[in-house]
Amino acid sequence: MRLLLLLPLLLCATVARALDTTVLESLPVQEGGRKKPYLVFAQESLLSISGRKSVEIDGRKRGAMEVVTDIWMQPEGWDDRPLIRIDHLTLKEAAGLDKERKLFSHAELAGNPAFVALLRKAQAAKGAAKDGRLAGIDKQVEEVGLRLADFEQLRNGELFRVVANPESPNAPWFTLRPDDPTFAAAREAWISGNETAWKDASSALVAALATQAPEHQPPAWKLDLERIYQKSHPFAWAWKLYLAAGIVLAVTSLRGRERGYVVGWILAGAGFALQVFGFVCRIVIAGRPPVSNMYESVIWVAFGAVAFALVFEAIYRGRLFLVAATWVAVVPLMLADFQPLALDQSIQPLVPVLQSNFWLATHVLIITLGYAAFLLALAVAHIALGKVILGGKPSAAIYNYIYRALQIGVLLLAVGTILGAVWANYSWGRFWDWDPKETWALIALLAYLFLLHGRIAGLWGGFGLAVGSVLGFLTVVMAWYGVNFVLGVGLHSYGFGAGGFEYALGYIAIELVFTAIAVVRYRAQKASSKVVPARERQAAG
Amino acid sequence: MSAVTNPEKPLTAEARRKLIAERTKRSVFWKTVHILGSLKLALLLLATIGIACAVATFYESSFNTKIARAYIYKAPWFLVWLGVLCVNLIAVTITRWPWQKKHTGFIVTHYGIVILLIGAVIGSQFGFEGNVTVHKDGAPVNRITTSRSVVQFDDPLGEAAVLLPFDAELALPSEARPKVFSPPGFHVQIVVDDHSDRLVQEEKLINSPEGGPGVMMDFSTAMMGQNVEMPFVLRADGGMERDFFGLARIAYLPKLPDRTPKTVAETRMVFAKFAPVGQSESERAGLDVHLSADGSTITAGTPGQEPQTWKRDHVIGRTVQAGDTSLEVLSYWPDFKLENGQPVSVSDEPNNPALLVRITGPAAVAGADARPLLEMAPDSEGVAYQLSRAGQVVGSGRVKVGESFALGWADWTATVKELLPHAAITTEFVPGPEGTEGIPGFRARLRDANGVEGPAKWVASGAFTTLLHPKSPLRVIYGLESKQVPFSIRLVDFEVPRLEGTETPSNFIATVEFRDSKTGETRIGTAKMNHPASWPGGPLALITGWNYKFSQAQWNPQDLGETTLQVLYDPGWLLKWFGSLLICAGIFIMFYIRPKKS
Repeated sequence: MRLLLLLPLLLCATVARALDTTVLESLPVQEGGRKKPYLVFAQESLLSISGRKSVEIDGRKRGAMEVVTDIWMQPEGWDDRPLIRIDHLTLKEAAGLDKERKLFSHAELAGNPAFVALLRKAQAAKGAAKDGRLAGIDKQVEEVGLRLADFEQLRNGELFRVVANPESPNAPWFTLRPDDPTFAAAREAWISGNETAWKDASSALVAALATQAPEHQPPAWKLDLERIYQKSHPFAWAWKLYLAAGIVLAVTSLRGRERGYVVGWILAGAGFALQVFGFVCRIVIAGRPPVSNMYESVIWVAFGAVAFALVFEAIYRGRLFLVAATWVAVVPLMLADFQPLALDQSIQPLVPVLQSNFWLATHVLIITLGYAAFLLALAVAHIALGKVILGGKPSAAIYNYIYRALQIGVLLLAVGTILGAVWANYSWGRFWDWDPKETWALIALLAYLFLLHGRIAGLWGGFGLAVGSVLGFLTVVMAWYGVNFVLGVGLHSYGFGAGGFEYALGYIAIELVFTAIAVVRYRAQKASSKVVPARERQAAG
Repeated sequence: MSAVTNPEKPLTAEARRKLIAERTKRSVFWKTVHILGSLKLALLLLATIGIACAVATFYESSFNTKIARAYIYKAPWFLVWLGVLCVNLIAVTITRWPWQKKHTGFIVTHYGIVILLIGAVIGSQFGFEGNVTVHKDGAPVNRITTSRSVVQFDDPLGEAAVLLPFDAELALPSEARPKVFSPPGFHVQIVVDDHSDRLVQEEKLINSPEGGPGVMMDFSTAMMGQNVEMPFVLRADGGMERDFFGLARIAYLPKLPDRTPKTVAETRMVFAKFAPVGQSESERAGLDVHLSADGSTITAGTPGQEPQTWKRDHVIGRTVQAGDTSLEVLSYWPDFKLENGQPVSVSDEPNNPALLVRITGPAAVAGADARPLLEMAPDSEGVAYQLSRAGQVVGSGRVKVGESFALGWADWTATVKELLPHAAITTEFVPGPEGTEGIPGFRARLRDANGVEGPAKWVASGAFTTLLHPKSPLRVIYGLESKQVPFSIRLVDFEVPRLEGTETPSNFIATVEFRDSKTGETRIGTAKMNHPASWPGGPLALITGWNYKFSQAQWNPQDLGETTLQVLYDPGWLLKWFGSLLICAGIFIMFYIRPKKS
């Protein structure tokens, strides 16, 4: 009886459900200088226009595949649906838009004289600016203008370049002609909403497209691999596993240490394996090392920190590395997962300056691995300083762990920076040119050398090393993030971006306050204890 | 090496410490070495160099790379500081004497840094950086523009010449802090008291007894907020014509030419679907007549004039006026055909509409420039002007000094600023308004021992400028130094492959031919992104770095036959590489290779 009552509801649900687009997922589309599966194309397109993975339209949540396919099959009406993202309040205010909303329709923006005027003004400013860089509201308008243009290209159908060009492997692909019979049939089936008709028509379309210039079609396994990568979200799962490992290790630090340690190892190892899988996918798909943008660099640093921690943990079995690394890897990975607009996840071809060079890959990967080691030292140092603040006395082992992590960092940063110079000598003809990125890598190196030499000189011991690891990391933040996002000059401009400045300042402030409290507590403890700790004097040999 | 077989037993740690402590106490030399190699000095150096570099990057971000370089990276104090660093690095290794096996990493690393820095000094002292622009159709080039800014003074009388390094953007001369050059062998000093990075050429009208009559015109548009001054002078051989941003032409002539076209009368057959049939070119009227595809409307107009349209039914058999031209519509055939030499209509359907018209009016001007033309000529108190389009006058008048007239080109208006009976045009560099793109330069004047000064003048980079003084003039050249190299380079091919399906370049590939100036030997090299071409290309040159490396620096999207290559000659190359290798190896040994304890 109950079942009978539910039946009409189920029917309703079927009517509102979208047609199945699975068959299109692996269809190759040429976009952004490479061929990618339609699934990736759809998700990237929706993300770049709306900043979201799915949007709610006519009271129903729709995924990227459904939205983009609908724009392809029946673009009519999409001008009036809210799809284009505007975050900036000042811009919304200036254009008289509803401040509560994030998404706006093309018609709303194109028909808004205030917004159109702002767009014109930004274009004029762009032409007048010497380096083509904008600031303030012009920059915000430019951002929205690009989204608007992306949407228009999508709605006009010109982005759906699915017809292979027999001319040459690098020639631009074509879009489907509107009178193409298979395309027309697919559109008709889509509009009718008939499940079987759509399935037949879309399969026929995919099959017909595959016969076009078969010699220039990308291999099926590569498209499938990218589709699997896109759907499996290995980096998103990695942080969840690291978080679980961190929680398990923290909770079991008092009771059930042994079992908790094993579970922590397994969870962290699984997360690490997923990261390896993710990197292998990206390298195979792009045919290059993961060095092109901030996103890849962020997930690589998290990867490096965990990798070093696993090695150290295997040697020292001290538990601390695993705790520190899992917690510290979660932050960059979450950031990368939740800020897709600031950290672009899409796989893109390299700019000429980075192309076909072994040195590039080595120097960038090694420097960022150095950052990862410093990040690990920072995490362990946090634990040590936290102990001090809570009134405890960190063991000599903790300080030794910090020192080990710093050693790795100094070695890799020195080697990476020098390799960078060697690479620059080879490709640009000069060894060292005081470019901000290389200068800041040097400053970070000098800061850590200062820290290590001061310890040798006996100016500070283990606690000083911990404080130095926290403060030294600020130079890493500057070299890694600040040069690209704050200074914004120099030859490494291919990785430039903007935003997050307030967060970076907030981070620095928190670290400074945290360290200051630890120092005050340490001094108080030292004064109250009668035993004067022996200085850990260690000569340079 | 074992302690047993060695006759000289290695010192125990205790004995060594004692030895070092004693010699430091006894000898001034060792005392000095220990102070120079002290860790405190090392920490001071690390901290100051790090902070200076950090400040320099912020300097660079808010000013420019040049300033950061001049005040920090390449400043004398910074170089001295690096020298102190070298002394510190060497001294600290000496303090560890006698060295033991455990010192290997430490010594290798510290000397690696010293060697790297020596390589850098050699590179910057004896090497050079520059660039060269080559064109596929151009001649071989054997001069390279270096990145060093220089100024050269030539004394036209004494043939004295002096070349001095000088960069106005770095020296920042001002009236409060002028830069004074007193080159030896010259009778005057050169006082530089201002600089600008946006010098633009400005034309001026000056009195010149031999010159013809001149006029200074001012053209302005309120819509685009622009204002342009243009001088004109009549020469003995005739007038002067100038281009106006490619939009129009402006001529200044002894006398306005008569552009009243002769009147012609022409009978013309106009077809909806074919070209009209009429008289020969010379006697054609300037009016264009069109018939719509269904034969229902007639449109007529002259170039540069708004066309008019009539319903055929309304004007058939009548005469209408189109500007200065009268148009008589004689007859119409909906489906025109010639039968026995007679025009007939084979049906009433508009299959081949045709119209016979008679046009009486100004003749067409053969070969007229489509751009509008402003012609001016000196008049009793001002200038007389006439405006024309496609050879047909659309406006004329007379204006006095200070008066304006509309040009009919968007909202541009012209004003007569100045009239001179005998004039000449001079060009001079002056700083443009904020935001204009110009070239760098400085303002200079000459001063003799008595303090007598000549007029100040702007010296722009890349051009000869003559500074005047009652005693003797002086010629100044300012710009990047160009250096002759013992070979020539020619661009054979330049390719810019693109990312698939886009216009984004994926690489830049320049194929160049090097030719030895002495032996005439040639070699082909390829400069790709990240793969420089080099000359000479032998293995010894490659290893030692005693060669010229050419890497891709700039390209010109408008002209794919042209590329700019960066040129580097760096004799310190080998030391830099060797030092780098030592640093990397040394750190690794220091951290991870521990000598076994006996």
